[in-house]
Amino acid sequence: MSRRANPRHEAFLDWVTAIAVFLLLSPIAWVFLASVRPDRDIMSASLVPTSVTFVHFLSLFQRTDFMIALANSLVVGIVVALLTVAIAVPASYSISRFRYVGRDVMAALILGTQMLPGVAVMVPIVVIVRSLGLTNTLTALIFIHLALGLPIAVWMLRGYIDSVPRELEEAAMIDGTGQIGAMLRITFPLIRPAVVAVGTFAFVLSWGEYLMALALISKTEVKTLPLALQTLFDPYSFSWGEVMAGGVVIALPTIVLFLMFRNQLVGGLTSGGVKG
Amino acid sequence: MVSSSLLAAQPGRRKTMTADRILPYVLIAPAVIVATIIAVIPLIYDVWLSLQDWYLLRQPTPVWGGLKNFRTLIYDVSLWSAFWRTWVWTLGTVAVEIVLALPIALLLNRDTLVARVASALILLPWVMPFIVLGYGWQFLLDSQVGTVHFMLRALGIAGDSSVLNDPTLAFTVIIFISGWKGTPFLVLALIAAMKAIPDELYEAAEVDGASAVTRFMHVTLPAIQNTMLIIALVLGILAFYSFDLAWIMTKGGPQSATTILGIKMYNAIFNDLRPAYAAAISVVMLVVLAIASALSLRLRRAEA
Repeated sequence: MSRRANPRHEAFLDWVTAIAVFLLLSPIAWVFLASVRPDRDIMSASLVPTSVTFVHFLSLFQRTDFMIALANSLVVGIVVALLTVAIAVPASYSISRFRYVGRDVMAALILGTQMLPGVAVMVPIVVIVRSLGLTNTLTALIFIHLALGLPIAVWMLRGYIDSVPRELEEAAMIDGTGQIGAMLRITFPLIRPAVVAVGTFAFVLSWGEYLMALALISKTEVKTLPLALQTLFDPYSFSWGEVMAGGVVIALPTIVLFLMFRNQLVGGLTSGGVKG
Repeated sequence: MVSSSLLAAQPGRRKTMTADRILPYVLIAPAVIVATIIAVIPLIYDVWLSLQDWYLLRQPTPVWGGLKNFRTLIYDVSLWSAFWRTWVWTLGTVAVEIVLALPIALLLNRDTLVARVASALILLPWVMPFIVLGYGWQFLLDSQVGTVHFMLRALGIAGDSSVLNDPTLAFTVIIFISGWKGTPFLVLALIAAMKAIPDELYEAAEVDGASAVTRFMHVTLPAIQNTMLIIALVLGILAFYSFDLAWIMTKGGPQSATTILGIKMYNAIFNDLRPAYAAAISVVMLVVLAIASALSLRLRRAEA
């Protein structure tokens, strides 16, 4: 706020900022820290780590149920990301480039699903999926996970396509390319970074999704990572280090991809979407 | 409706005119279909389902029940306590979010290296999956190994057993965690609103001899008020529809102290095996939320 800054004042506020943000993020840092501490270190409850170990990750990766869940989450996440992009790119192009009857209604419908919390549609979705005989299938989960990233993907891509000058496409079309050709050859390459970002975003949302997975899946062969982590935790004998290592496996892609695409995501979050 | 495509007005392309007119619909269709199947159809089906009589133990195939579920619902004492608990949860979560976000946004809305790095990292709790945060906090609050538990015990708040085993404390702590997760989103929105305040306003206030507090109260706060209200409403809706955190950390316990409506609904379908009743609960939640949002938006308009 103080734009004509007083350096000592600012330095003091910097300290306060650093401490505040450290406190805010420390619960997450603690998960990471615990995942590489030996069990006796954790049990002694000392704050100072004595040694770094990867035994928790190793024992995690030797568990078949966890590895199955890892594979399932990868399959679901990747398919969701690809489908989200494949559906969102043409939709946002249509909204951005054309004017037609019903456009605003359809755009509002797509973006409106972003505001709909999972809990609000959980009951009917569970009943519908059951009556279709799709409980305990990744197919049902993939389809439902499309709702996680699609609205924000359409919203963000539309903004990017808006910023690509129409003249570029028109020039290509005069050269004999059709509308779709112009879209694929001119606009798509220009918005590719945004496409990668929304695909990533869809992947990450699917990777950590809990409620629908819990409601639709109970068999070990089709469990995703959040459910597998729960299995790790539930029995009476468990290792905190192993549970935290599992948490890191779930958290890591989120953090890495978030830091990579932070700017696009923050723009998208603050302008349109809200799903957490 | 000027033209349906970029080149529709060009002569010599009449053949492709119809194709051009259909093209935008073809492009948007998959997204509309997905949104319809995942949102519109379930919502309509939910209303229909809530009017059925369907109790897997007694009435295994759904038959028309009219308002039966809603009549049951009115006399369901435990549902009512979950209802009020959900309001405490919602308002508590939003209160924590505002109390944490406001000072942090003020701190981050400065042009220093620390503030920039901090702004980049701040979003992490918001994007982190609930399952990671839930188990992370459970670890921190564990009575044998939890760092936060030891601090709470030193402060006299927690005894030898974890706060998660005490009904009141568990509810309080999980509300705090729920608010903590949502804080970054509000921080970002507030920073954006603060950046939009013209420098001249602060300069004028300074010329008038206004102190930092006065400047905050009379320049910053009025300017960010609207953003705060809208985002608080959005975060309130999300909190009202919570499930993950309370379920992951305490499964609604101890003694149903953290059983909010989302958990009540989940139990109705999966433990009590009453899908129609669960649907009735979710219809009520939708109605309540629609009324609450409309009221608070009207209130805001009346104020402005």
